Amino acid sequence: MNYFGLGLRNVWRNRRRSIVTLLAVAFGFASIAIFAGYVHNVYDGLMRQAIQGELLGHLTINKRGLETMGRIKPEKYLFSKDDIARIEGIIKTDPHVRLITPRLALSGIISNGRASTIFVAEGVVPADVTAIKGDFQRRMAGDLDSKNPIGIAIGDGLAEILGLKKGDTAAMLVSTLTGQSNALDVEIADIFDTGNPQTRDKFVYMPISLAQSLYDVDGQADRLVVLLDETSETNAVRDVLAPKLAAAGFDVEIRTWDDISVFYRSVKGLFTMIFAFIFGIVIIVVMMSIVNAMSMTVVERTREIGALRAMGLRRGSVVRLFTTEAAVLVGLGCAIGLGLTLLVRLGVNHSGIQYVPPNSSNRVRLLVDVDAGKMLLAFAVICVLGAVSALLPARRAARQPIIDSLGHV
Amino acid sequence: MDIMELSSPLLLDLRGLKRRFLLGRTVVEALRGIDLQIRRGEFVAVWGPSGSGKSTLMNTIGLIDRPDEGQVLVDGKDVIGLSDNALTDYRARHVGFVFQSFNLVPVLSALENVLLPLEIRGEGGRAARERAIALLEEVGLGKFLRFRPDRLSGGQRQRVAIARALVGDPALVVADEPTANLDSENGRLVLELMLALNQRKGVTFVFTTHDPRLLSRVRRRIHLRDGVIARDESGAAAEGLLSEGGVSEAGADVEAVA
Repeated sequence: MNYFGLGLRNVWRNRRRSIVTLLAVAFGFASIAIFAGYVHNVYDGLMRQAIQGELLGHLTINKRGLETMGRIKPEKYLFSKDDIARIEGIIKTDPHVRLITPRLALSGIISNGRASTIFVAEGVVPADVTAIKGDFQRRMAGDLDSKNPIGIAIGDGLAEILGLKKGDTAAMLVSTLTGQSNALDVEIADIFDTGNPQTRDKFVYMPISLAQSLYDVDGQADRLVVLLDETSETNAVRDVLAPKLAAAGFDVEIRTWDDISVFYRSVKGLFTMIFAFIFGIVIIVVMMSIVNAMSMTVVERTREIGALRAMGLRRGSVVRLFTTEAAVLVGLGCAIGLGLTLLVRLGVNHSGIQYVPPNSSNRVRLLVDVDAGKMLLAFAVICVLGAVSALLPARRAARQPIIDSLGHV
Repeated sequence: MDIMELSSPLLLDLRGLKRRFLLGRTVVEALRGIDLQIRRGEFVAVWGPSGSGKSTLMNTIGLIDRPDEGQVLVDGKDVIGLSDNALTDYRARHVGFVFQSFNLVPVLSALENVLLPLEIRGEGGRAARERAIALLEEVGLGKFLRFRPDRLSGGQRQRVAIARALVGDPALVVADEPTANLDSENGRLVLELMLALNQRKGVTFVFTTHDPRLLSRVRRRIHLRDGVIARDESGAAAEGLLSEGGVSEAGADVEAVA
């Protein structure tokens, strides 16, 4: 028996009711798909912001305990020149690795000669910064010049506090590894927006050679940042590299960009919760709508069910008939919802609406992506739950004695 | 019952059938002990006033209801103890139904409605389609294959229902008041059609009716009253009975219903 064909025809039996149900499913699906598309865009933006904008790359390798004990005994947690060369040799063998670059973090006091304030700095290889940024447009890390060994990029908040402009000079004072004070003159090569109100008044990028001079270390680094060709390979590459490095005698931690980016994780956690909440509400509304429609359908067709049962249709087949019909109904609803989603997406993406996200100092465009994975999930869940919603009335109808069904008025 | 029918094997053997229903707090005894044998190829009318147990008997004969007491033997085998699925499958293979209100599926064409019992049995395909078309042509609806029920008259719908009942080549067709929703001319035509198919195909027909005029066309008439068989009349003798008061008695029963 062609359950699908019969279900498709029966959907149009009571057009008004079917249209109302279809619209409920379509709006439900569209709301899930549009929100999922927006969230996908936010995740994507935050991911690129973390990897390219904040220069986290995909993987960060450091000696185990750097984040905790490294502040007390930093000398124990630095990679030597030889360590760096050996680790690079191991990592480079992985075909997904595009770049390995050393980093050195330090903090201290920066002064314009009249006033001083604290800074937190990241020593980077200027040429590698350009490679990591790639096509990412937002300037969340300042531009450094490879030919200017004392050129630094400072957050716009810090520039404001000290009244510094591009080309000005300042003095930086830090404690060396041995606890001595070390001051160097630097030049303001760039002023940039960190994108984060909490860091824009203290963050500094500088050439790693300058950071090493200030720290008084020779070619050492506290981290190695690895850039891959595909973000989706991050965990896989980490899992491959970890045993290799351990086998080579390195007791290191390999952290992924999302391990490090607290902001990404907190936003993702929040959006995941909101998505689950919206998804749950929509599913409940859709299920109620299907239960209502199918209950009415089953009651209206009680005599038909009786006749089919008399003709030899098994109880299970009656249930299958109505669950297929419900699945057809929600399937069509989802298809309409998909069309609606694409229309809304087109409108939103061309509207140029901008907003300031939480914890950000930049306006960003409101954009909706196509999150095929979430759409497929929503489609599958709605279809399955729609069919399950029809189970109860269909089972009731199938279990009714045939003579009662045939006598139904 | 003629000699041929008497010599044909027994299809249905109902023994001591009793069926009770609970209506509110009242127990209604719809069947109070029915003993009835129907042979293959018979054309049987069951008649009597409303509440006499006609429909209950038809439901039991059609295996869509189980008696509280008694046996239903089909080809000598007691089918009452079968599981619901087994009984359902048995109906699919051996019993055709014609309902008073046709009960055609409105979203299906005449042809698709006729094909339905075969599809339920998992016998779709070209051969099934050709068989359904042939039957629709046989009941005079060859030009209405693609018509949905709402575009057919009452008589046409019942003819589709008859074709649907016969398409699976059943041993028995059960028709509960097949002419009740039709005018007298269409009622007569439907009965003639059932008679013709009974004679051509040898299919056993058991049907109920209120209409005394139709009874004169039937060889065997079973008169039910208060859940028991008041009279089981066959052949010319029965016709005689009808002409000598049987019809008037039938008329009185019908009037009592009206």
